[in-house]
Amino acid sequence: MSVIETPPSPSLSVMRATAIVALAVTGFFLPKLFGGTSVAYSTLTTIAIFAVMCYGVDIVLSYLGEVSLGHTLFWAIGGYAAANLSVKYGVNGWVTALATIAICLVAAAFLGVVTLRTREFVFSLVTYAAAVVAYEIAFNWDAIGGSDGIVGISALKLPFGFASFSGASQEELWPVAFALLLLTLGFIARFRRSKLGTSALMVQMNPALATSLGIDPRRVRLAVFVISAPITGLAGWLYAYQRAYVGPDMFETYFLVMMLTSVVLIGRRILLGPLIGIAILIAQQNLLSLGGDWNKIILGSVLVVVLVFWPSGLVGLFRRLVNNRS
Amino acid sequence: MNIAQQIVNGLVLGSGYACIALGWTILLGVARLVNFAHGQLYMLGAFVTWYAMTRWGMPYPVAIVAAIVALAILGAVMQRAMMGLVISQNLTSLMIVTLGLGYILQGGSALIFGGNPQTLPGTLSHAKVELGSLWFTWQDVLVLVATLLLYGAVWLFTQRTRFGSVIRAVAEDPKLAELFGINARVVYLLVFMFECSAVALGAALVAPRSPILTSMGFNEVIMTFVVVVLGGIGSIGGALLAGLGLGLFIAFFGAYVAQAYTTAAAFALLLALLVIRPAGLAAK
Repeated sequence: MSVIETPPSPSLSVMRATAIVALAVTGFFLPKLFGGTSVAYSTLTTIAIFAVMCYGVDIVLSYLGEVSLGHTLFWAIGGYAAANLSVKYGVNGWVTALATIAICLVAAAFLGVVTLRTREFVFSLVTYAAAVVAYEIAFNWDAIGGSDGIVGISALKLPFGFASFSGASQEELWPVAFALLLLTLGFIARFRRSKLGTSALMVQMNPALATSLGIDPRRVRLAVFVISAPITGLAGWLYAYQRAYVGPDMFETYFLVMMLTSVVLIGRRILLGPLIGIAILIAQQNLLSLGGDWNKIILGSVLVVVLVFWPSGLVGLFRRLVNNRS
Repeated sequence: MNIAQQIVNGLVLGSGYACIALGWTILLGVARLVNFAHGQLYMLGAFVTWYAMTRWGMPYPVAIVAAIVALAILGAVMQRAMMGLVISQNLTSLMIVTLGLGYILQGGSALIFGGNPQTLPGTLSHAKVELGSLWFTWQDVLVLVATLLLYGAVWLFTQRTRFGSVIRAVAEDPKLAELFGINARVVYLLVFMFECSAVALGAALVAPRSPILTSMGFNEVIMTFVVVVLGGIGSIGGALLAGLGLGLFIAFFGAYVAQAYTTAAAFALLLALLVIRPAGLAAK
């Protein structure tokens, strides 16, 4: 790919870097701009955490073209790792985060290897079934929480050598959630330009061409699936500290539908798409809620309407409108 | 626990799995369509039957017909909405759309039927049959007989009639089939309506065994997916055998190993099979 792409001119990359920094700084002060209330902090923290959760599904859906229905498993792994390790052994946030990443990588590698030869709906069904089995285990195994889950997770502690960071309230958790979101965005942006990202896209668009160029489709699929897992896992890790509780409800279809809807709503393969999508969905549920059952109907309808009428998402719709006018 | 009773339990469970899996097997095998709203359709079939019996005082057989008709109409509406994606065989989007449809059905049913668990009043579920130390209910007999009859009828229909070969032609290549004067849209519509009414029938027969909730979704029918994949996707005979075999496996595993982990065990079985034979048991 490097042969085709011309390196961006220095002035352009300076401008881009400035724009990114400006966006990041504005993003950081967003809760203040919305009044600095605890509702503003908790809503934006939730959006940041859920956005990270969605990016795990995003890279599988956008770049592999596969629907993973098992990412609630990684989401729950993060939550359960944080809860169990911090409550039982009193370890700090770094340890639980590392444990989350490690367990997610192992679980995703196992699932990935098993489903290596399956495609499309068999892949989706097997990933879904994996989440159902994990739910059954989490529900029945009292040692990791059982049906009651784990209550009273202590505040997140992240010691930095000299200082220690603690996230007891929503205001204090916001910087962590925002940092995690920025890290994820940076990672996704890098992934899109990496060899793996371009290979994955090629495997999805034209497997025969990819193979003839010496790309092994199975290895690419496995690699993308495995790196997607810790992203969703880390979101679940932070969610456990935010809610101070984890339970089998982390496996609910709600999270799965949120992940998929946020990706398709704006359009696949758009860096900020899942973030904007999840922000819209959470704003509707928190600020314009019509009650649980109606929210389900709305969420489901958004998914159906977008895919049936505007398969390339709101961005595609916008482009079509602009093109029609010119 | 004696072994003969576990074999009976296994057949009872397995015929239930096979019964609910029938619509999906046809849909997947014949039309290559996926439907992740299957669980919610099962829920809806059970609730329509329940509503028709308790609120309108319909007798059980009439309520079953009502559920079949209601879901066939719903199926036609759903398929109408998805038709563009079906014709272009956009499987990824179809999977997500059916997931969204299931979510709509779940929210809508909770609004209509309420959030409380209900029991489908099946008189046959209380009519026990005892043979020596063995026991089962007449409802179980009904499920087994109905399942065998349905599978037989569907097999004859798809393999031995003109319409069966039309369906298979569309499954093979919708564009080519249209060149031969087959209206692929009508075929897809009918197959999807069949899947919905088959799952309504399955729900009306199987659901009296346990309480029903509007929140029961795909998890409730996760075993049917194991049946469909184990049986070799779209193989009618394979699905029947896989259903009965899985029922026996679950009955014995639940009785002798651990009742709480039966789904996990069934899934482990499936994973092992996917590694050894990715195309399923029935594949040659």
